[in-house]
Amino acid sequence: MAMKVISADHAVAYGAKLSRVEVVPAFPITPQTLIVELLAELINDGELDAHFMPVESEHSAMSAAIGASAAGARTFTATSSQGLALMHEMLYAVPQNRLPIVMANVNRSLGAASGIWVEYNDSMPERESGWLQVYIEDNQEALDMIIQAYRIAEDRNVMLPIMVCLDGFVLSHTVERVDLPDQNLVDSFLPKFRPLHVLDPDEPVTMNPIAPPEYAMEMRYQLDRAIEGAKSVINAVDHEYSSLTSRSYGGLIDSYHLEDAEIALLTLGTVTSTARAVVDYLRAKGKKAGLIKLRFIRPFPAEELKLFVRDLKALGVFDRSLSFNGYGPVFTEVRNALYQEGIPITNHIAGLGGRDVSFKEALEMFQVIEKNAGNEKGMVCYWHGLRGGS
Amino acid sequence: MYEIRFHGRGGQGAVMAAQALAEAAVLEGYFAQAFPYFGAERRGAPVRAFARIDKEKIRVKSQVYEPDILVVLDESLLEIDPVGEGLKPSGKAVINTTKMPEEIDLGVEVECGTVDATGIALESIKAPIVNTAILGALARVFDVISLESILNAIMNRFGEKLGHQSGVMNAEAARIAYLRTKIGRCSARRQLAKTKVWLPAWYEIPPGNALPQHAIEGVLIGPGSMVQNYTGTWRTQTPHYTKDKCIRCLRCWFSCPEGCIERMEDDYERWDYRYCKGCGICAQVCPVNAIEMIRGVHEWQ
Repeated sequence: MAMKVISADHAVAYGAKLSRVEVVPAFPITPQTLIVELLAELINDGELDAHFMPVESEHSAMSAAIGASAAGARTFTATSSQGLALMHEMLYAVPQNRLPIVMANVNRSLGAASGIWVEYNDSMPERESGWLQVYIEDNQEALDMIIQAYRIAEDRNVMLPIMVCLDGFVLSHTVERVDLPDQNLVDSFLPKFRPLHVLDPDEPVTMNPIAPPEYAMEMRYQLDRAIEGAKSVINAVDHEYSSLTSRSYGGLIDSYHLEDAEIALLTLGTVTSTARAVVDYLRAKGKKAGLIKLRFIRPFPAEELKLFVRDLKALGVFDRSLSFNGYGPVFTEVRNALYQEGIPITNHIAGLGGRDVSFKEALEMFQVIEKNAGNEKGMVCYWHGLRGGS
Repeated sequence: MYEIRFHGRGGQGAVMAAQALAEAAVLEGYFAQAFPYFGAERRGAPVRAFARIDKEKIRVKSQVYEPDILVVLDESLLEIDPVGEGLKPSGKAVINTTKMPEEIDLGVEVECGTVDATGIALESIKAPIVNTAILGALARVFDVISLESILNAIMNRFGEKLGHQSGVMNAEAARIAYLRTKIGRCSARRQLAKTKVWLPAWYEIPPGNALPQHAIEGVLIGPGSMVQNYTGTWRTQTPHYTKDKCIRCLRCWFSCPEGCIERMEDDYERWDYRYCKGCGICAQVCPVNAIEMIRGVHEWQ
């Protein structure tokens, strides 16, 4: 075990190195750049035996990743914001072809107006693409999750791509202490990639043939069930990883001081850490506050969430992106899952376009949730830090 | 409401036929719709087109499963496609064939009109595009729409798209077909053709959207599946090779897009009629006219 003080971007690159990725087609884009730069360096220096493919766009990056994965190589790429948007067309080919590509997406807002700072409106729309999506809280989780992502993605019962989403700058360029597991330990945890099918001129297969209506619907349903089936694998992989490293992240969903909580906030990404501090503060004042950390939005842990909120009087949902003319996408998912549970749920929009989410704002979210307990007719969507009031 | 189903092959104009019929119906004051269903978009592949005609505005947007009128633009489809499926016992059929109605076995016994639409098309428009001729026959069988309206619709649609002269030629094909159509009853002795369709449950679909060599499951066909999937039934004319005239230049062998001309050891040729689609390129490139295109599906060795 080696200890380093590194950014989350570098933690991701080391995670890919420890996972012994074989092909890395990538295009650098802020704030993902540090990942691609370090991987290029590691490959150039012979520390990682992989092909680095500098491509001319993200559309090509994903196309090349599809080809590499189809040829049987463990494939890694990374992107952000406009780059992910440019990949959109190619993203859809990956889950349906059951290619277990792992991609780090360093979350950043999509223009206009252009911005390089964290917002989830780049990755949230890709919930519909069939990729699994996990949101990261700190640099250690970033590294550990890349390794776990390959184990989950390549599981014979899953065979799906995973997007590891991390907050631009708040994680990507922030250095923290990160423990790097030994290569031997990772090797024992992550066996060699066994593809379902391999592109091989000696044993030709047709990949991605035209699917007329007689087959397309069954194929979609099969993919839908595969995503649902990934849930148990995600939880099992987290369990096994924690037995090796003593680091558990809860699999699909985690909680903090939720046992006797009356109010709780559901978060994802780095705001989770700030919200933990708020929960500690409120607990010290005798308030029964708790926290739910959503890790995966695909597959969405609807059943687990129902158990988590059973005894709550009110729940708030944090969103760092917006489905315009309504609510945040996480709120929509959560309220949909909890429709029959009968607890008041409020939406808390904050931190858009990289606006800092302060302790005070996170505290304000809990205050609104508390006020909303038992109030059926209250407001549903609150914007925090908005000038002029919502 | 009248529902009409057209069965043809890619290139025969089934889609245009359905559209022209709908237009003819509108000219007669009806509401109408016409739409295609494409599978493999290749010349010669089986295609379907549909039309609906009603006095009221037509709401339904689904395909036609129980047609009142069946139109078959290519007789060879009877062998490979259950074209008669769902045809109402009170319905009617129009078949492009050189046979009499009584000689046709559709698998459903109905009133039937037969016409040599291919012959008429070759005569009048010099191409085996049979859609306008078959519309003329349809006007004889389906008395709801007059020949007059069919001819006007053909002039409108074909004239606009291909020029006035083409409209006139196509209308002429329809007029000839109207006169030559023979009316009778077809027989129902045969079983409807069974298409080899693989319709798996969702859990039976091979995950990963990849098919190994020689896999032939429904339309999801893997490389090498041509071993089992003959395409020679698609042709309307067959190349006939006269060895005595052949100068062994191999132009036909080079030019065959289907690779179905076999080069013998002595550089004479042999055709693999299982795959020949009758495109006629071999006959076109032959400098000594050793290859002649003969109408119909034949095999010579």
